[in-house]
Amino acid sequence: MPARWVGVMSTIGLYALSIAVALGLAGVLVSLTGASPLDAVQAIFQGSLSDASALGLTLDKAAPLLIVAVGTCVATSAGLFSIGQEGQVVIGATVGATVAIYLHGPGPLVLIVTLFGAALGGAAWAAVAALLFYWRGVPVVISTLLLIYIAYQVVFYAVTQPWFLMETGRNVAAPQSDQIRPDAWLPRIGEYPGLNFSLMVVIAVVLAIGTKVVLDRTTWGFRLRMLGLNRNAARRAGVSAVLLGSGALMISGAFAGLAGGALLTGGNHRLQPGISENVGWDGLLVALVARNNPVVAIPVAFFFGVLRAGGGFLASTGVPRYIVDVVTAILVLAVVFPPAYQYLRREARARRLARSLAKAGGSA
Amino acid sequence: MQMSTPKAGAPAHNAGAPAAVELRGITKRYGSIVVCDDVRLTVHRGEIHGLLGQNGAGKSTLVKILIGLAQRDAGEILLEGRTVDISDPLAAADLGIAMVHQHFSLVEELTVWENVTLGEAGRPDARRTRDLVRDIGLRYGLDVDPDARVEDLSTGERQRVEIIKCLRRDPSLLILDEPTSVLTLAESRELFTVLRHVAQGEGKTVILISHKLDEILSATDHVTIMRSGRIVAQRATAATDERELAREMVGRELSKWVAASALGDSDALIDPSLSTDPAMLSPVEPIHEDEFPVRLRIHEARVSRDGRPLLQGLSLDLRAGEILGLAGVEGNGQQVLGDLLSSLVELDSGTVEMDGVALATGRPGVMHMAGIGVIPEDRHASGCVLDMSVAENLVMSTVESVARRGFVSRKAIRANAERLIEQFEIATPSPDTPMRQLSGGNQQKVVLARELSLNPRVLVAAYPTRGLDVGAIEYMTERLHDAAASGIAVLLISTELEEILTLSHHIAVIHRGSIVGQMRRVDVDAERLGLMMGGQVV
Repeated sequence: MPARWVGVMSTIGLYALSIAVALGLAGVLVSLTGASPLDAVQAIFQGSLSDASALGLTLDKAAPLLIVAVGTCVATSAGLFSIGQEGQVVIGATVGATVAIYLHGPGPLVLIVTLFGAALGGAAWAAVAALLFYWRGVPVVISTLLLIYIAYQVVFYAVTQPWFLMETGRNVAAPQSDQIRPDAWLPRIGEYPGLNFSLMVVIAVVLAIGTKVVLDRTTWGFRLRMLGLNRNAARRAGVSAVLLGSGALMISGAFAGLAGGALLTGGNHRLQPGISENVGWDGLLVALVARNNPVVAIPVAFFFGVLRAGGGFLASTGVPRYIVDVVTAILVLAVVFPPAYQYLRREARARRLARSLAKAGGSA
Repeated sequence: MQMSTPKAGAPAHNAGAPAAVELRGITKRYGSIVVCDDVRLTVHRGEIHGLLGQNGAGKSTLVKILIGLAQRDAGEILLEGRTVDISDPLAAADLGIAMVHQHFSLVEELTVWENVTLGEAGRPDARRTRDLVRDIGLRYGLDVDPDARVEDLSTGERQRVEIIKCLRRDPSLLILDEPTSVLTLAESRELFTVLRHVAQGEGKTVILISHKLDEILSATDHVTIMRSGRIVAQRATAATDERELAREMVGRELSKWVAASALGDSDALIDPSLSTDPAMLSPVEPIHEDEFPVRLRIHEARVSRDGRPLLQGLSLDLRAGEILGLAGVEGNGQQVLGDLLSSLVELDSGTVEMDGVALATGRPGVMHMAGIGVIPEDRHASGCVLDMSVAENLVMSTVESVARRGFVSRKAIRANAERLIEQFEIATPSPDTPMRQLSGGNQQKVVLARELSLNPRVLVAAYPTRGLDVGAIEYMTERLHDAAASGIAVLLISTELEEILTLSHHIAVIHRGSIVGQMRRVDVDAERLGLMMGGQVV
């Protein structure tokens, strides 16, 4: 058997083993809570894929994840590892809610401006990280991460201030904003009980494919990939890392912000501190699993959508919500584990060799 | 380059005693490529054995097998007549095999004795290690201060530290991989004296890997020549000459372009009467000074990084149509000069002017736009993008020319690639092949093709033939010559004196970040050049 096939087979085997272990572990956990693991699997299936409306729910859950993931692909192509999508989602939703609540005018126009504002908000939040990086050299990973916590504070502040977004006539015990105007909600395609889903699903898929084309086929995408793959070669060829890199980071933020706007106008219809539901984090994971390919991110986001939709249903069958989260996390780990494991094994082998060389007194 | 070392002739071998090292039918394949093919080699105790061959001949793989970095597919290794199995570098060390690699692995911030004790188990013993360094220094003539910081040492001194690291384990076999590529002439001579002592005085065995003929001729007792993974000849050094070695190493007679430069014979280049071979003559026609206008002028350039000065008032004029060879020992500012002309470095003070117009340093793309093409020192660092295709690499800096309304035309990229691939004889399975999969020589051709296709006014070629085989060297050399002939100002940066002597009209010597001297090719004098490279203003 050629070496390449051995590699492919061992990769498939590793995935199978990893997912099997995850399922086993999840089963044990579910049994510990007194429920039957088989019932749990069935519940996940029922909640996500069993019929048209369940499928629609899965698509709804997948769409924001996909948008976040596609934005992440743009930043990663430029060689920037941003992990602050969660914060950008929250800020996007906050800016969107402000626009939707205070802007008057025809519904569709308000919707468009809301989504646009959400994207701008996310971009601005990412711009802070870009500024810190290119001006002061603060690592993007750190600044984007810390900006998440500031974003949480911002949204909480917004919905607790009567002059800003706090729900009229409510106390601060359950802070949230007013509902936005129904004519500024995202339109839905199809009707219950048939297949029905938010327009955001279509937008997400179009964005994924469009981004792939832009990255692969335009001069801008060409330069971005060059920058991501070899900074020095790009610089010599006239690519400004500051401009292009900041741009990529802000686009990534805009996508996350748009996802926040979508959660607002397509789901919650009001701003709540927990509106993001970890969409930023999971979207980042989708991009990781899809190895930064926006088109591959489509099925991966769908898989995550299944877990989210099915997880909700599972919770409604009596399995505690936190167990559902743990099960989801285990399944995600199972998918992320094989590539990470292969990487670590390569590293360890190289390190072992280096160590034995050092001990042998030679040099390499 | 006359490297006379005291040589007492090959030691008489006792026919009864087993050889220090014997390789029997060593074979190694990487995929379908055979890099070592049934290699048989015997090295006796107390001799310096030269291993000669072009890049890619299989020398490195062979010694990797000896020190446990690679595993043989077939064959036997015998040390002192005993079959051994060398599974990793630790096993090799236990068997008394030590190697000085081409690239040093010293911690610059630490002192000499600290570097020597590095990798030891247990508490470092400063006094014992210092004494050890002094003892070995006395015993072998490797003089180095145990308390000096490595970063303050010259390249030659650093190499001594590497050798001490090996010798302290009292190995029976010492392997050196291209040890003189980083040394000045004087340092090389000293090294060979040390090696002679190691072999004859201490009864150890030395294997010296090189592709330089004069080195092999002056330093070794026996020589084995490898070509394409096979051993093609074995000679007693005293019974062979430069010409025979060259022919065996390359497998054919060489063109005038590489005869001397590829084979490391600078004597012939400096004084043609020393060589009987007409091919050893430099093909460069002398040109008269001031005949051509100054294209690129670097004036009083100063750069420091982390408080260490890299360029210290370097001034250099580059004329259209001439090749200026920048000679010097590696690490004297060549790299930062290349980076400067690639817009990767900003000057602290000083100017870079193109045809009298000052250029902004360190700003992305400025040097490139001004018409400076660069074949960088490390093509992987800034010359190409390994994970993009050959075709994409060929349009890297001019992607606009193959795009319409912001969209890159795949057809145009492909057409451009096919044209350049044919014109520059780049061997690639297809234009869409990732750069990573090309051989070093072909990667270098891609870089050259891209830079020349932009009709540059200045071409900077930093170590353009490093790591290439003779065929590719010949090719690069001809192209550089043609570039200058077409009116491009060429700056050739190299540590290989032979390469510089073959091509240059003018030669400048760089030392510690400034130019210490400049001369016309026709006025070259080896001693003076050597002294300048050592930093002395002559």
